[in-house]
Amino acid sequence: MAAPVLDIDRLRLDIGGAAVVDGLSLSVDEGEIVALVGESGCGKSLSALAVLRLLPDAVRLAGGRILLEGKDLASLDMSAMAGIRGRDASIIFQEPTASLDPLMPVGDQIAEALTAHRSVSAQEARRRAREMLVSIGISDPDRRLAQYPFELSGGMCQRIMIAIALICGPRLLIADEPTTALDVTIQAQILHLIRQLVAERGTAVLLITHDMGVVADIADRVVVMYAGRVAETATAEELFRAPRHPYTALLLASMPRAGIMPKSRLATIEGTVPPPSSHGAGCRFASRCPLVEDRCRIESPPLVDHAPGHLAACWRSDQVARLGAAA
Amino acid sequence: MSGVVLDVRDAAVHFRSRGGFLRKAAPPLKAVDGVSLAIAPGETLGLVGESGCGKSTLANAILGLVPLTGGRIEVAGRAVDSADRDSLSAIRSDAQMVFQDPALSLNPRLSIGAAIGEPLLVRGLATGTALRDRVAALLKAVGLEPDHASRFPHAFSGGQRQRIVIARALALQPKLVICDEPVSALDVSVRAQILNLLVDLQRERGMSYLFVSHDLSVVRHIADRVAVMYLGRIVETASMSVLFGKPRHPYTQALLAAAPEPDPVRQRAKPRRVLDGELPSPANLPPGCAFSSRCPLASDLCRSERPKLAARPDGASVACHHAEE
Repeated sequence: MAAPVLDIDRLRLDIGGAAVVDGLSLSVDEGEIVALVGESGCGKSLSALAVLRLLPDAVRLAGGRILLEGKDLASLDMSAMAGIRGRDASIIFQEPTASLDPLMPVGDQIAEALTAHRSVSAQEARRRAREMLVSIGISDPDRRLAQYPFELSGGMCQRIMIAIALICGPRLLIADEPTTALDVTIQAQILHLIRQLVAERGTAVLLITHDMGVVADIADRVVVMYAGRVAETATAEELFRAPRHPYTALLLASMPRAGIMPKSRLATIEGTVPPPSSHGAGCRFASRCPLVEDRCRIESPPLVDHAPGHLAACWRSDQVARLGAAA
Repeated sequence: MSGVVLDVRDAAVHFRSRGGFLRKAAPPLKAVDGVSLAIAPGETLGLVGESGCGKSTLANAILGLVPLTGGRIEVAGRAVDSADRDSLSAIRSDAQMVFQDPALSLNPRLSIGAAIGEPLLVRGLATGTALRDRVAALLKAVGLEPDHASRFPHAFSGGQRQRIVIARALALQPKLVICDEPVSALDVSVRAQILNLLVDLQRERGMSYLFVSHDLSVVRHIADRVAVMYLGRIVETASMSVLFGKPRHPYTQALLAAAPEPDPVRQRAKPRRVLDGELPSPANLPPGCAFSSRCPLASDLCRSERPKLAARPDGASVACHHAEE
């Protein structure tokens, strides 16, 4: 098997000495969509930013390797990183309008992404920008190229962001909640587009999301994070069918969905995520876990294989199936 | 109609743009245009639609927060008149609202006990010990500790803040609670807690909900009936089971097809029908059916004549010329 496009190995991110991401390992293969899921504050977005070294000043990259096609991004200086961003790896965010320059026609913004990395003429860049719009299914590309972001809808702005992100043909696309700000019918269009582009170009996608519906729709594999650590990782189908970590199981059971009685009680996760400063030696989910036993509070469970490619960090993962049935 | 908690008849909210120097006034933006609906005691009506469809404007109009351009809204038999302060005061003891973001709904400088007790105090319904007892009971009803009353909003998590907002909405024992995206800003695990709470409170107290949401899976869980809005109009209403089991309007069908289900097997087996195009601007609606610019069934008739909401034998109403095709 070919080496993965992105290989994150024991990544650690600190804020003021406390680890907000602690030992995150994950890999994304060519043409694969890997979803990194978790609730707000679990460290998923910071991990995504860390890959492109876009971390806010308060967050320190304190350990681990981030291999993009074998090159360790964690050790590069900022000028080398500027050459990587947009060329080898790109990122799109939740709010496309906040990512676009309001004073520049979107066509120029797409072309600029190309001329920043490749020596092409302005004319050639414009031609390629137009081609890009056609390939992502935008009708009337000439009119769109001349428009400013305020003239476009949120869904259209997100397509422009995707065009900017992909025009240099990067190997990796990081999509941080790309459809959270969009309506469902527009979300369906954008997810469809991402799926299609991955199939055509073999781009590796790291998808950051909190929405299990989006995960069920397009992810090949899923990494579930809780309080800065990986709780579980599996193929999407396996994760939904047979979760092995109580957090994953409860998260799935807490969602209103087809097949459960309307107005019936949904499973809940009591309590709140502990702050990074309070992490002790034990499992970070122990304070909220219905399966907790003494060992969980003392000793942190390692990520162990349960099936090929299905890992969970729980001392009591053999009991998790029971939890799902009760919920 | 008597006995209903909310009766909306042909309600319209149009926003006019003012003309300016060298600038013509644009045609009015029809945020809500000819909407009729009713909610029975103890019933939950889910109001769904995409952003800009007018669902929040309608919710605001029911509480008199925006003036009606036409039609009539009655809450518990009393007409809502946004220009009449006394009428609004009366309406708000019968109808209360819970908004999406609890952090924006609470005054950061007011203890949560004071916030919850304020409606009672303002109306002179309780003071002193009686007020403290009522606040304690409300806090308990929403699953919070009565001795938290002296704390301030910053001391609570998002889910707890939404509980506080719900407690405040319940203070006057309203007959109708309008919930405008009440769980959209919350994390998934907290969402379930708030949904459970809303269901429990309705069972105990028997009030009605108008549940405004863009999230179909949440609406399916909590609503008895559902109304689907598109660009200021209701295109379909039906009981929850009919709407999700047998959606008739092509827009409802597209919404259901687009909403991803949290189950990869079901989700990936679903027929892929991606709706083309975007929402037209409500200031510049196509003539005829507003959905005709995106509808796979659109014919010349749809582009010239607006379809009326027509009742079906199973209690559903659909506004579509081709709904049975």
